[in-house]
Amino acid sequence: MNKSSFRPRPVNIHKKLPLLKSVKDFEDKDSSTGLSLGVEEEVDNEVHSTVPTPQYNIVDTYESDYPCTFNQSTSYLRERGGGSRSEIGEYVEYDLDDEDENWYKEFIISSKDWRNLLKPEELESVLFKLEVLDHKTRERAGVITPTLCSPILVLLQLDVAYELLHVESMSYNVFQSIFSYWRAKRERWQKPILRRLQPPPPFNDTNPYTVFRSRLKARHPHTRRMQMRREHNVLSFQRLHQVRRNLEQTKTVIEALVKREEKKRELVESEVSIMRLQMKYKQETPQFIEDCNGFGGSLHFSSIFGSSVEDEKFADSADDMTIVQPDFAQNLPFTRPLDPEKLVAAGIKPPLGPPIQNGMSAPSYRFHGRIGRGGRIVFDRWNPLLRTRIS
Amino acid sequence: MCCYRDGKYHLAKIIERRKIKSGGESGTHYYEYYVHYTERLDEWVKLDRLDLDSLQKVVNHKVKDHGGFDLASLREHEKLTKVKNIAYIELGKYEIETWYFSPYPPEFDNSPKVYFCEFCLNVWNKKDHLQRHMRKCDLKHPPGNEIYRSGTLSMFEVDGKENRVYCQNLCYMAKFFLDHKTLLDDVDYFLFYVLCECDDDGCHMVAYFSKEKHPEKSYNLACILTLPPFQRKGYGKFLIEFSYELSKKEGKAGTPEKPLSDLGKVSYKGYWTSVLLKILKKKGSQISVRELSEMTAIMPYDILCTLKDLNLIQFNKEGIQYICTDHNVLDIHLKDAGRGGSKIDTSKLLWTPYKEQEPALIDIS
Repeated sequence: MNKSSFRPRPVNIHKKLPLLKSVKDFEDKDSSTGLSLGVEEEVDNEVHSTVPTPQYNIVDTYESDYPCTFNQSTSYLRERGGGSRSEIGEYVEYDLDDEDENWYKEFIISSKDWRNLLKPEELESVLFKLEVLDHKTRERAGVITPTLCSPILVLLQLDVAYELLHVESMSYNVFQSIFSYWRAKRERWQKPILRRLQPPPPFNDTNPYTVFRSRLKARHPHTRRMQMRREHNVLSFQRLHQVRRNLEQTKTVIEALVKREEKKRELVESEVSIMRLQMKYKQETPQFIEDCNGFGGSLHFSSIFGSSVEDEKFADSADDMTIVQPDFAQNLPFTRPLDPEKLVAAGIKPPLGPPIQNGMSAPSYRFHGRIGRGGRIVFDRWNPLLRTRIS
Repeated sequence: MCCYRDGKYHLAKIIERRKIKSGGESGTHYYEYYVHYTERLDEWVKLDRLDLDSLQKVVNHKVKDHGGFDLASLREHEKLTKVKNIAYIELGKYEIETWYFSPYPPEFDNSPKVYFCEFCLNVWNKKDHLQRHMRKCDLKHPPGNEIYRSGTLSMFEVDGKENRVYCQNLCYMAKFFLDHKTLLDDVDYFLFYVLCECDDDGCHMVAYFSKEKHPEKSYNLACILTLPPFQRKGYGKFLIEFSYELSKKEGKAGTPEKPLSDLGKVSYKGYWTSVLLKILKKKGSQISVRELSEMTAIMPYDILCTLKDLNLIQFNKEGIQYICTDHNVLDIHLKDAGRGGSKIDTSKLLWTPYKEQEPALIDIS
């Protein structure tokens, strides 16, 4: 088969491809492989020829500029805590720039004292300390911004600076001159002159020459934006704490609610299963039913009717009642026996039988109570002989 | 226009013109771009080096394919960065010619040479300023943590957030040798891996690569550079291998950020070829691209491209794909890929993947 009739299918990266050293197939492709190799070489050579060999020379003064004082420890070098250079420490990070050099030269010349009243290193050191002190002052005042959005003004005062900097070797006048020079420079720059203290420019700065902007692209919406927008002060911390407490309380309440509803459901389910059982065993002996009827924690019904209502007529047939009750209970679904004590408490009197006429020994019917569907209290007329309801 | 370079005339294009008044001489300088070479060789020349007879008018300006840039920002990038601003740098023992523009503050414009402190990478216009700095500078190695040491080679991991000034200095300096590097984003979002050769003078940087802390597209490398005096010694391949070792420890495949420079493409191709073909030579009967990716931390896409370019994915008569592992063929490719860098001894790599420091949650309930 001609290989060119195949349209190369995309390779499935999950599928295992056999590794074959099939020479036969390879022979067919020999020419093309040779070609491809040739092309590969050409490309490489081309690239190598266009990439120029870098030009460099050796610097003469290297040995004297860089002293050999490095002793490599046997353990790997680690930044201790904040690291030797990551935090502001003793090391004077500031280096004089051209402006500073010019001012220094003029200052030395203009002061008639030709003695070495100020060394460049001292100037560097003072400028560095002024920057750091001003940064601390601004920090305490709470005006440090994460990005460079507005001019950064000097808050440090001359006398405060002189007091705190302990420049005993320097006269007050010299210090004052340095301070005014530094202050003027800061006003021109509108931002710190020590690079470490300069906040990054905002992401929306469109000046193409601005470099090292703070990033706020859509790339990391959840991290950068949230971090930048969130304030970090005491008030929001307290608020967050309050939110946490509220949420915890809500959680407790809802959990309790859930438990309550669960219990209610269990209750209903138990009732349903009892009903079912009662229906199932309605043909069984009353004794059995009575055992099952431990429902609702109610008292035994004989005693209930024994201590019942003012109606005397019930008392006569108290014995009958005890037996009747369980039978009656199974004839109807959704029936619950009445609790006479509760009836009394609720002020409900069972209906009286028709008034006894002279001569009659017993009423022709009486009433029997039950709790019917929906919790309604129903009194059925009761036929004592048949022990059934009269519908 | 033809003009001198190393004694010969080459076709060049005038990009810009400036008037210089320095040290008594004045005149007009022309910024030349040598047409058959890259912009690295651009330089300012005086009139006497130009052959005015062969003056031609420029008709077309073809825009080269620059990968990640779209046309408008590419034009802007070219317009602003066409002209090298500083010609030479002195870094430690070496005086090196620059290749590209780097966005230093304006006071450095038109300086013929700038001087770096080799260890903290601060920079000055004048040599005696550097020398004054050296009297007080106590840094003898990059800041950050040493995460690998084998023989005289050491690798330091520097967090852009912890050592902002150093990393910014590093980016400024690297820009002299990288065309498509942009310094738009602050160094806070990057980690810098600085490779050094160590001796009595200290740990001297020879190469570095940068990596995003939270890359959006499985990038395991952003920029990579071997300093010119140390090129073609295998440090580039070493760095590439190192970036993949870090990816292996992270447990996910990675790929370099695009666009790759011309040198970068060659190095990566060579690396991928070496690694993959060595595995294929040893492997038994079958393998999936996914498995290769899991073994090497190279992205499946890169593996596929490499194998396809080497013509190793073939079809047999039934149309079933397979990978050719004829040792002769593989050996030819391996030879072309060039020798690798020094082998990385992973037992000497003491490193855990970067984790953003969470502010400590204090429970004061």
